[in-house]
Amino acid sequence: MSRIAALALNTFREAVRNKVLYILLMFALLLLALTYFFSQGALHEQLRVIRDVGLVGIEVIGALIAIFIGVNLVYKELDRKTVFALIPKPIHRWEFVLGKYLGMLVTLAVLMAIMAVTLFAVLWLGAQVFGGDNDNGTVLRAILLVFGEVAVITAVAVLFSSFSSPILSGALTLGIFVVGHFTPELRELIAKVESTPLRVFLRGAVRLFPDLHLFYVSGSMVGGQVVSVHGSYIDWSYVALAGGYGALYGACAIVLAMLIFSRRDFV
Amino acid sequence: MTAIVEAEKLQKTFALGFFRKKVRAVEDVSFTVEKNEIFGFLGPNGAGKTTTLKMLMGLIFPSRGQARIFGRPVSERAVKQRLGFLPENPYFYDYLSGIELLDLMGHLFGLRRAERRRRARALIERVGLGRAGDLALRKYSKGMLQRLGIAQALINEPELVVLDEPMSGLDPIGRKEIRDLVVELKHEGKTVLFSTHILSDVELVCDRVAIVVGGRMRDVGPLKQLLSPRLIDTELVLEKDGALEPVRLPPDADVDAAVKEALAAGKKIVSVAPRKESLEDLFVREVDSADVGGGAERVKLKGRDKDKAS
Repeated sequence: MSRIAALALNTFREAVRNKVLYILLMFALLLLALTYFFSQGALHEQLRVIRDVGLVGIEVIGALIAIFIGVNLVYKELDRKTVFALIPKPIHRWEFVLGKYLGMLVTLAVLMAIMAVTLFAVLWLGAQVFGGDNDNGTVLRAILLVFGEVAVITAVAVLFSSFSSPILSGALTLGIFVVGHFTPELRELIAKVESTPLRVFLRGAVRLFPDLHLFYVSGSMVGGQVVSVHGSYIDWSYVALAGGYGALYGACAIVLAMLIFSRRDFV
Repeated sequence: MTAIVEAEKLQKTFALGFFRKKVRAVEDVSFTVEKNEIFGFLGPNGAGKTTTLKMLMGLIFPSRGQARIFGRPVSERAVKQRLGFLPENPYFYDYLSGIELLDLMGHLFGLRRAERRRRARALIERVGLGRAGDLALRKYSKGMLQRLGIAQALINEPELVVLDEPMSGLDPIGRKEIRDLVVELKHEGKTVLFSTHILSDVELVCDRVAIVVGGRMRDVGPLKQLLSPRLIDTELVLEKDGALEPVRLPPDADVDAAVKEALAAGKKIVSVAPRKESLEDLFVREVDSADVGGGAERVKLKGRDKDKAS
């Protein structure tokens, strides 16, 4: 565990010393701050606008950071040959991959915590100025779901990073991010396919993609009713279930990355 | 004597390019490294030295053959705990300082924080980086990175130290310092295996030498045994009227008669030096015979081809 922690800490250190990360974070904080001004045009709906724009902003920025850093996580070690000094140390190759991923998760958690605090601050300010109720618990559950989604995206990015270049990995991960948000629609389309073998194949193929729709359910049907961050939202048990799904999917992606990494020649 | 390193019929074949052309980089390499010796792994560029060392370090999987260190497979963590490795042209995390890098490496060996810090400071001084320990590695020169690489190879006080081209990037003073360090390590009871293509490094410090050319082992043993005792020629340096005149006498020449003849001609004798086979002569001989006899292909892997392996 100590070795994995050392690698995770080093990954976190690398991230926080990366200037590009600060630019993305500043952009995110600026966007969140600007939601206050965006909301001023929405009569009686200011808090709604702040919540919507803020949560989408956190999701998009979080996903971008996950993809941008995730696809380089393993690849950079191979390309810059820093792995040559590490693999002969008393660590298993799988510990190396896991340490990198956990370090990335810690980085994302810190970044999202900063963004969350900023959003809460803007919502509080909005509630003071425009009036209205703001349920921080609902927003917190929504942010935790976003974190679960970002953790899955990161695992996918790390998997691709273990055998592919950053450009290809980035394109593939972005593709999975987009497709993952449309899994209910894809399932509806597949259900209309007449050919049974093709339908079965496509159903299986869609199951390989992560169902990212689970992590952004505001405006969707859950348990027979429409949920929304502006009113009746999902409860903590849903967060736990979605988190469990994310952990399982992420674990599968990381295990696959470990297997690929364990058989590589570092030439 | 107890063999610390045992390489048995190691072979590595790479599949390169789009058509996966098979290239044999190392073929049938076998050698042992005994406890507390300095073993030199000598060969020209592309001979397979780094590939062989990487197979020993678990960075590359052999296509055939096996390697054991301390009598155990190289992949075991208990083995890695007792060895230190300097890769060729080492690359480290440029956002870390020298001390931070050594701290990370020490952490991977399970050292406690206080011990890591103590050893890091001591090693920074030992390799001559005293004033640069807190600088970010992106500001290090190639020679400084090389020294830091040696320091990280010693953080765990290993029993076996494997150095791939340790003198690379160093000036003559730096090279001497590293040679002295290698000898120090032997006096501390450690075993050192290092690869190089610089003959003088081997001549000055090694107990035994292996010469690898074209991916094949050509010779292995103590240097004195590898070198032929046969006289190659005798170099006679004469002087007359301030001008030096070197003369090479064949091995069967009467040197006494040649000296008497020179003196009779009014020349001064500056030096008489019988020349036996040097390491350079042996090295050139081995390279020439490898080119004639063939063997594993000389491979300098770079770029995407490096990622293909079989």
